[in-house]
Amino acid sequence: MKNKGLGEFEELILLAVCILEGEGYGISVKREVEKHTGRTILLGAVHITLYRLQDKGLLKSHMGGNTSKRGDRKKRLFNITDTGMQLLQASQDVRQSMWQLVPQLR
Amino acid sequence: MSESKKNRSIKLANWLATKLIKDTFLEELIGDLDEIYEERKTTKGTTHALLMYWIDTIHLLLGFSSLIKFKTQNRNIIMIKYMLKIAWRNAIRQKQFTVLNLLGLTIGITVSLLLGTYVHHEINYDNFHVKKDRIYRINQPNIWGDWNEISPSTGPNVATALKEDAPDFEEVTRLLHMGTQIVRSQTDTGSFKLFEEAAFIIAEDNFLDVFTFDLLKGDKETALDQPMNMLLTQETAEKYFGYESPMGETIQVKQWDGKWKTYTVKGILANIPSQSHIQFDMLVSMDSYQENMDRDGWKWIWTAFSTYGLVKEGTDITSLTEKIQAIPPKWAPPTTKRIFNQTFEEFTAGNPWFLNLQPLSDIYLAEQPFYNQFGPVGNIAFVRLFTALGILVLLISCINFMNLSTAKSSTRGKEIGVRKVLGSGQKSLILQFIFESILYVGASTFVAFIIVYCSLDIFNNISEKELSITTYLSNPIFTGILLLFIVGLGIVAGSYPAFYLSSFRPIDTLKGKVSNGFKGKGLRNGLVIFQFTISITLIICTFFVQKQLSHTSTMDVGYVKENILQIHNIEQFGFDTEKLKTKLASNPKISAIGKSFGVPPNIWSGDRYKSDKPNSPVVQLRNIRTETDYLNLLGVEIIEGRNFDPKKSNDKYGVILNEKAMRLLGWDIKNRDDSPIGKKVSMASGDEDKFEVIGVVKDFNFNSVRNEIQPLIIINDLNDKVWDYGFGLSFMSMRINSESIDSALELQFLIEEVEGVLNEIDPTIPFTYSFLDQDFEKTFREEQRMSTVLNIFTLMGLIIACLGLFGLAAFSAEQRTKELGIRKVLGANISQIIMLFSSEFMKLVGISIIIASPIAFYFVDDWLNGFAYKTTINFWVFFLAACGALSIALLTIGYQSMVAALKNPVDSLKSE
Repeated sequence: MKNKGLGEFEELILLAVCILEGEGYGISVKREVEKHTGRTILLGAVHITLYRLQDKGLLKSHMGGNTSKRGDRKKRLFNITDTGMQLLQASQDVRQSMWQLVPQLR
Repeated sequence: MSESKKNRSIKLANWLATKLIKDTFLEELIGDLDEIYEERKTTKGTTHALLMYWIDTIHLLLGFSSLIKFKTQNRNIIMIKYMLKIAWRNAIRQKQFTVLNLLGLTIGITVSLLLGTYVHHEINYDNFHVKKDRIYRINQPNIWGDWNEISPSTGPNVATALKEDAPDFEEVTRLLHMGTQIVRSQTDTGSFKLFEEAAFIIAEDNFLDVFTFDLLKGDKETALDQPMNMLLTQETAEKYFGYESPMGETIQVKQWDGKWKTYTVKGILANIPSQSHIQFDMLVSMDSYQENMDRDGWKWIWTAFSTYGLVKEGTDITSLTEKIQAIPPKWAPPTTKRIFNQTFEEFTAGNPWFLNLQPLSDIYLAEQPFYNQFGPVGNIAFVRLFTALGILVLLISCINFMNLSTAKSSTRGKEIGVRKVLGSGQKSLILQFIFESILYVGASTFVAFIIVYCSLDIFNNISEKELSITTYLSNPIFTGILLLFIVGLGIVAGSYPAFYLSSFRPIDTLKGKVSNGFKGKGLRNGLVIFQFTISITLIICTFFVQKQLSHTSTMDVGYVKENILQIHNIEQFGFDTEKLKTKLASNPKISAIGKSFGVPPNIWSGDRYKSDKPNSPVVQLRNIRTETDYLNLLGVEIIEGRNFDPKKSNDKYGVILNEKAMRLLGWDIKNRDDSPIGKKVSMASGDEDKFEVIGVVKDFNFNSVRNEIQPLIIINDLNDKVWDYGFGLSFMSMRINSESIDSALELQFLIEEVEGVLNEIDPTIPFTYSFLDQDFEKTFREEQRMSTVLNIFTLMGLIIACLGLFGLAAFSAEQRTKELGIRKVLGANISQIIMLFSSEFMKLVGISIIIASPIAFYFVDDWLNGFAYKTTINFWVFFLAACGALSIALLTIGYQSMVAALKNPVDSLKSE
């Protein structure tokens, strides 16, 4: 499978979803990414990216986990698909192999 | 930021989201927003959270909404994009015009929206009843006074007679307002909580079959069918018991003899909608008052009941009304015979005892009857006034918009020329202008909505209503009208440049032939005159409203009404009243004290009296029971005879008349032989005891100064031979020694002192007080509220008109740059140019004044006719308004004329 180009932000989101292991939804993903990168991101950006990734078939989702905290509304919980995992892995491999070619790091 | 405002803001954001985002996304998105909001609130504060909420919402809207279509490459969309761009550039190029134009229109739309919601609220009273189209209230003449006056209440047996004689009624139901009651509920610890309950109503068991008040708990069929059943509204339940469904709990109501009557809560009603003319806290079954209902003789003259009928479907109201006219002559005679010893014909004295059917939807705003025992009555005059005001202000701002738009567009001749040369068709030019114009109107409307949304709380405070705008937006008719308005005004305002300018040959416009040959000046001037006529009329009217209000509040009512403190519920003290009085009188801050049954301006009870002259007419007199001290305390002037004398035991059966009553009974103090002193008065109902007239007081005002002084008979409070009217409510009035009270705090202190004295004697009696002058003020409360609203909106209208004038002056200054430059070169000095420039506009304002004055005079005169005591229409007011309008106009255009006059002619002439 060809790498169709995973944006940096998309990659971060995908990784966050992986880390959260089924608990990933708008806010938790936002929090996770913010925690690791140290930058502030907008909720809307997270949502839009999550959906884009789902459209690309890298994520799958289901509704669930309503809590009183959010006025008893359900959340959409995201999970990574096999394709997503492969793509992430591929992306990582590309980087890894390129890293190894960087002379300064030798 | 207040909690409620915050919630409203969030609601608005969510509402926006529901409209623009697909439902499938909604739940998770709003859920996320909600969650993160709470989190931010705790970490970074409410304001930050709220701000972020909006940012996130808008971000999500952009990402998920149907606006996404704009991102596609569609030819029409590209065109709209370009049109937007051109519109934007034009707006930026002439910032002043753009701002003036939008500001004027926004204010206008805001004002008319506010007034519109108010009017809509007022005309939709009682709309929530499911059977509203079939519910009628049965009114009859005021049999206790002016037979021409319509009274909203009838005797209890009107209902029974209707049930018997008119099968067209599916249901007939009665309500009886019990006045203020002392009520208590028992708390968990067994102690009692005491309340003064002003909205205590007796209802028949079919009440809920006729009216739609939601019964949240309890059984609709049996809720009111047993004695001692009681229904509470949620609010009341909360107030009395601290929780919302105290089913089966008991509430006790104090009786006139001091005993407590116990009711059981059988149902909880949803809170009464504010748009209901029937308002209550407690409803008790009519069967609980069986012994009162059984009092046979009173059944046709105990006119305290409101009777409502639910007619069967398809009933012809005209013929039904005709049919029921036969009811009073058929059923009432036994009552008149028994009580007054009069035949029906003698009792009515030839007046028809009619029954009319008033549709439920008409009740709130009807001109007659003008009161309602159960709740608010609207004022159709205000509804009309506000409708007119809203339309006028909107009209002024629309005219403004059109004026400025056309004026502005005439400078765009060159642009049109270039575009035409480059191949633009007339159609696309027309489209461009209309599009721009619609865009402006749309933007103003949008901003106006936001302003209304934010300022509605303030407006609600002033007008004491509960208006809301969001409900209207979901109403398709309203949205339709709104769109029609935006498009309509846009097309009208944009049509002049669209059709006129775009029709020129490009060569002419490019050569500059058309750009200055701007037509339509006559029309513009006409519109300015129209605007200012409206504004000046409003100013004059507003001024007189103020004048009338201050006139009535400072009017001499016949006694000093300031510094009188009145304690209510004195009847509850029974035998302790004298003790109370002595105790209070010892307070040095109180200079006089007296007890009375009823206090101004609320002396409403009355009866039929006659004198002992042969063939004396039976007259209707208001009555009040007082003791000697009360008349002294008020300080009313006794012009003949004397006040009651506590030392003379016979004075207990003496009465004092006011001048009006004396004349009505056929006496006159000017003529010695005709003096009423020593003569006798008795009640007209049969063989009653006769009372000696011992004095005559000068007429003093004991009701609102809105009305003429009514005839009054003052009865000694110890008189035990008259039936006690007015529910026997009594008051202890005190004149406060004003020298001993310097501050509000001291006054508060005195009130607490008085409360302490009362509590010492009987702590179970609720302490309620009022000030006489404030009670008087209250009778004009509605007028005062409305005059505030009127002031604000008149000011708005004036601001809009001035904005328009300012814009036109600026435009004219620009147009006449060269002319003024040449004048200066030829030797005109600055003051001459200012004069020349301003006089053009002042002429217009002058004409407006001439037109506005008679119009204003007509309306003011008409309005003042509704008052018994009216302020004079002074002509200096007109003069003042004229001067005011002129100087405001002068100020508005002064800046422009200064700029025009001070310009260096070299600058204005060199570019040719």
